[in-house]
Amino acid sequence: MSEWLQQAIARADSIQDGFEDQRATSLALLKDIKWPTRKTEAWKYTPLRAVERSKAIFKEESPELEPVAVEGLEFLELTFVDGQLVSLPEELPEGLSIEMQESSLFATIKPERHVFGLVNDVLAADVAVVTVAEGVAVEQMLRINNLLSNGAQGHIRVVVDLKAGSSLKVVENAEGQGASLTTAFTEYQIGVEANLEHYRFALQSGDNVAVGGSHFKLFENAVMNSSIIGFGSDLQRIDTDIVYAGEKANAKLNAIYLLDGKELFDLHANVEHAVPNCTTEENIRGIAGDSSRAVFNGRIHIHRDAQKTLAELNNRNLLMSNKAEINTKPELEIYADDVRCAHGATIAQIDKQALYYLQTRGVSRSQAQLMLSFGFINELIDQMPTVELADWVRPIIRDRFAQMEVK
Amino acid sequence: MSNENTLLSIKDLHASVEEKNILKGLNLDIKPGEVHAIMGPNGAGKSTTGYVLSGRDGYEVDSGSVTLDGEDLLEMEVEDRARAGLFLAFQYPVEIPGVSNLEFLKVAVDSQREARGEEALTSAEFLKMAKEACKQVNLPVSFLKRGVNEGFSGGEKKRNEIMQMMLLQPKLCILDETDSGLDIDAMQVVANGVNSQRSPERSFIVVTHYQRLLDYIKPDFVHVLADGKIVKSGDASLAKELEEQGYAWLQTEPTEDELED
Repeated sequence: MSEWLQQAIARADSIQDGFEDQRATSLALLKDIKWPTRKTEAWKYTPLRAVERSKAIFKEESPELEPVAVEGLEFLELTFVDGQLVSLPEELPEGLSIEMQESSLFATIKPERHVFGLVNDVLAADVAVVTVAEGVAVEQMLRINNLLSNGAQGHIRVVVDLKAGSSLKVVENAEGQGASLTTAFTEYQIGVEANLEHYRFALQSGDNVAVGGSHFKLFENAVMNSSIIGFGSDLQRIDTDIVYAGEKANAKLNAIYLLDGKELFDLHANVEHAVPNCTTEENIRGIAGDSSRAVFNGRIHIHRDAQKTLAELNNRNLLMSNKAEINTKPELEIYADDVRCAHGATIAQIDKQALYYLQTRGVSRSQAQLMLSFGFINELIDQMPTVELADWVRPIIRDRFAQMEVK
Repeated sequence: MSNENTLLSIKDLHASVEEKNILKGLNLDIKPGEVHAIMGPNGAGKSTTGYVLSGRDGYEVDSGSVTLDGEDLLEMEVEDRARAGLFLAFQYPVEIPGVSNLEFLKVAVDSQREARGEEALTSAEFLKMAKEACKQVNLPVSFLKRGVNEGFSGGEKKRNEIMQMMLLQPKLCILDETDSGLDIDAMQVVANGVNSQRSPERSFIVVTHYQRLLDYIKPDFVHVLADGKIVKSGDASLAKELEEQGYAWLQTEPTEDELED
């Protein structure tokens, strides 16, 4: 067992609060767990050296940090600094509540198999529970900010409960100042006919170490639309689980990663079609430059009873350097016989036909290559339902991309 | 045959695709302001001509020469041919999701202006031009924001090609079966767009399988391309003749070239 995990367990032993029962279970599991190595399938391409070597500490006092502004959007801000909840919205729209209380949903949507999920179970100091009342549509976006000061360690946890017929838009935003370490897990229960618009931005790079997950459970006719955008860092790992608990639910997941230098980014997406008539559409696109490494694992599990499932998983990658590495593994496990599923993964160079087309209009070959590479990921940004977020993140990605080209 | 007044001069052009000879001695001279129609059966090399002239990968020139305004076209990169004034309107324009039409058009126009030593347009100036061009080809302005040709219908793609032509102001436009897949109304919009761009300085090669487009875009010359070379040339009336007789006579009668031999 790693020293880092031993310290985490020791710290957990000393924490006392209202989540004790669930925490005791997670702690017991954690004490028994095998620290992931190269031989652990879920961590095969993602070494944990960065965690083991991290010197990030739990700070007694943290500086005041503000989340990045997004033009045209005024969020309901739920802000954590170094793992401590520092601010809640002063006024909440009717039907929306945020409480620091025990929730029966805690650790029920996030599967037990995630090692760092268990760590988060026992170390997240402030667990926020967001509830949207039945039939309420919250217009203003809720933003969960996970801000980390230089050298800090922090663990945050949010549980979101969308009651029947409600709707909510949530942005998960992580910003680290450097040499930080965080785990950030969120659990979403999306009730009957409820609607979740979700974003997870993991744009902190450098020596920030971040492991986390967004986990969703959908009931009948529920709809979710999620966009995940990540840069790599010393270690950036996101797990997402989508579980269908009611029929005719529908999930769309778009994810983008853009890696440079020696960065590492790892996305594991798991979808459990446990009931019939649900639809999943996943589009994952990444660009890896320099000597970076991207890992994608997309599993869709269609259970025996999940007839009439429609599921599509598409992972496309562009390699910009011959030292960059992409490890992609789509997994379709189908136990029902009347389903429509497709999956594919490609690692490719730029589309030659499109390149020629641009050149015939007088665009130089090098500029055309740039336009097409950016367009390749911009296509998914264009699909983000909230235009202000797309307009905010597009130039950030464009700038990073332009820098990558220079090298 | 060619003189100082010739815009495009193709001499004894032989070209192949995947080692299969497609063009087998193509000759064509075009003066500024002329409209030439190239007709012919499938597989004659009509589309290949456009691809070879524009410099598409995989289209190998085996022998012969092509000059545009006296410059050796075949020596140039694809983008330099465009900057020299060549424009190919595609039969099947490529969809490029993620690259907005407006951004694409601006970069294309800027690249060509830069090559001609002209100043770049401001975004506002360009937007005004682009909106104007949209109107002329009957495309909603919202199409500027969409990905290049993304989800456009066949007709919308063709109109987008004509819009690009209007913005780029080329010297020589090759329209590769621009009428294919268009209904009469859409064809008329496309033809009006083309006609509005006719000028004493600008020349056109209208590649088409059918005569009907030539009712709208009146050619000065009509050529029949068969088996990689021009087998018959005439004025606009030749197109009507072909419409009535089809191309069957090509197989049964000796061609002009063969008679000359």
